Amino acid sequence: MMSKASFLERRQTPKESSSVTIFITALAIILALLFGSLLFLPFGVDPFKAYSTMVEMSFGTLRGIGYTLIKATPLIFVGLGTIFAWRSGFFYLGFEGTILIGAAAAVWIALLTDPEGAIGPLPRLLFLLLVFLVSFVAGGIWAGIVGVMRGKFGGNEVILSLMMNFVALFLVNYLVSGPLRAPGDLPQTPRIPQATILDFIIPGTRAHSGILLALFAAIVVWFVLRKTTIGYKQIVAGLSPSAAWYGGINVGNRVILAAFIGGGLGALAGMVEVLGVHFRLLDGLGEGTGFIGIVAALLGKLHSIGVVIASILYAGMEVGADVMQRRSGVPSSVIFVIQSLIVLFILASDILRYYRINLSKLFGNDRGKKTLEVDSST
Amino acid sequence: MGLEQLFTSAFIITWLAASVRLAGPVLLAALGEIFDELGGILNIGIEGTILFGALTSFLISFLIGNAWLGILGAIIVGIISNLFLAWMYITVRANQVVVGIIFNLLALGLTSYTFRAVLGTQARPQKATMIETLDIPILSDLPFFGPVFFSHSIFLYITIVLVFVSGFVLYRTKFGLNLRAVGEHPRAADTAGINVIKMRYIGVMISGAAASLAGAYLVLGQLGIFRDNIVSGRGFIALAIVIFGRWNPYKAALAALVFGAADALQLSLQIFAFKIPPQVLLCLPYFLTILAMSGLMGKAVQPAALLKPYNKN
Repeated sequence: MMSKASFLERRQTPKESSSVTIFITALAIILALLFGSLLFLPFGVDPFKAYSTMVEMSFGTLRGIGYTLIKATPLIFVGLGTIFAWRSGFFYLGFEGTILIGAAAAVWIALLTDPEGAIGPLPRLLFLLLVFLVSFVAGGIWAGIVGVMRGKFGGNEVILSLMMNFVALFLVNYLVSGPLRAPGDLPQTPRIPQATILDFIIPGTRAHSGILLALFAAIVVWFVLRKTTIGYKQIVAGLSPSAAWYGGINVGNRVILAAFIGGGLGALAGMVEVLGVHFRLLDGLGEGTGFIGIVAALLGKLHSIGVVIASILYAGMEVGADVMQRRSGVPSSVIFVIQSLIVLFILASDILRYYRINLSKLFGNDRGKKTLEVDSST
Repeated sequence: MGLEQLFTSAFIITWLAASVRLAGPVLLAALGEIFDELGGILNIGIEGTILFGALTSFLISFLIGNAWLGILGAIIVGIISNLFLAWMYITVRANQVVVGIIFNLLALGLTSYTFRAVLGTQARPQKATMIETLDIPILSDLPFFGPVFFSHSIFLYITIVLVFVSGFVLYRTKFGLNLRAVGEHPRAADTAGINVIKMRYIGVMISGAAASLAGAYLVLGQLGIFRDNIVSGRGFIALAIVIFGRWNPYKAALAALVFGAADALQLSLQIFAFKIPPQVLLCLPYFLTILAMSGLMGKAVQPAALLKPYNKN
């Protein structure tokens, strides 16, 4: 019995190999870019030209690279937070909140070190250490609340962290319209002292030293998760809570630690945004970053190096899209579509792992009885 | 009766009417979400679906001038976009949380893009033809109850009817029983001859239609305009309402009223320049949800198979 429809054969078990993963990822990116290119057409823009301009604008010039690094920095921090939390089985979605909390904490400390502030000017290194610690701990505790609810009382971290985002939003809204508000029409805090601003690291650009901290954090997260006992316990607790439990690992405590570290990393995203870009706390700061960072982490397969690459790629897309919007009027929101489609297609293409193509049936030729296996392709 | 007393009762009536008005769209979205969650799917993508519904209804109503066609278009777009979501959740068996949040980003980008592509990048907010407020005869003349309940958008009356319809379908029909079985114990349901996959697809479709209709409600029943991210978290509030209402349409209606009341109260208090920061009141519903979900007040008994993909083999 031969039919064209049966050239797709279903596998009993999904095909898992790195070549398949690479093939599927590449296919997903190409499909997403193809879909994205349709969106350029109504504006009379040649998609291929558009993509090459975008790459040139974000990676081809020093200025562009500077902007790309600025946008990549908070994404890397959120991505690293996602890795630490999610690998430990804690599906935290509250990075929008931790960004705001980290930013608020950093601005608060920075304003205290104003010559007229409560602390007064501090030596540079001491200030950086202090602002780092306070920001990290503030974000850690913020996410840690959800961690305790999940780890000790069995709450649902997905909904809890989404709700906490709103609370953080209102908290910052309160701070900038009340206690920390600067005189003037806009609800925002005063500008932080010049001495508290991060150094610019590439001459001629606004790229700040936050990216160095982000790369360093990526190495630390990689090292802790891969090379230490703590990391091992976190990952085991994430992969199989029951096995971890029988192995003597206290899963509840692992979840709380995951929340604290993940939230702390997420808060650093807010810290670098205020110390390196905005120089003050304001409403709507970092909006969207808390979710796009998660998406970048997923594209990076929840792996430190992958997250750095994915974040830089996504940041470059955003920079390129901003230029596109100014030049040819294509709305920069095109890039959100492409960014999300890439990961959606990767997730969807997982289903391809369950199929193989039977070429002999496809071409109506079963003399050779040879089934050519194309790795899980369509 | 002193003037002060009159002023107070007027204040309360205005406040309650506003509470009901603000509760409407989120309740509608929440009603749909109850269906997919009872079937075992946590559809975080309703935020994005509401956005799709909002844009579709706006564009159709604005360009053609017929609000009812806008509603129809929104429902169709909601069902189609959720067919994709259902495929990802149920057939691909991808992580539901991941798919949901990425879908929301996709919706944010696609609606913002489409809005500009159709109306031009410099588009200023323009009003679409709206669905008018309907004062229900006789009932709207009742003191107190009239202005609070019977002088609203048609959408609200539809939503209230749907609360009872949902309650009936979920607890009084075979379909509802099967759906809940699929969400509690899919293996057992499958053994008993219930098509788990089909039931879950239907659940997600219902949620898509409801969320999209909620988007149309927001635009054609309340705001009249579209702008980027106009939904601003209402989908997440709907998720909270579902949990706060313990997956029950009637309790969800009460939960939506609590959310609406807090929202309306801070609006009213701002007018009267009260000393309490409005943010405290705005936070109240979220605090309540956090408390309800924290596990501190006993575990919220969610459908046992929630978030668990079903594999027949």
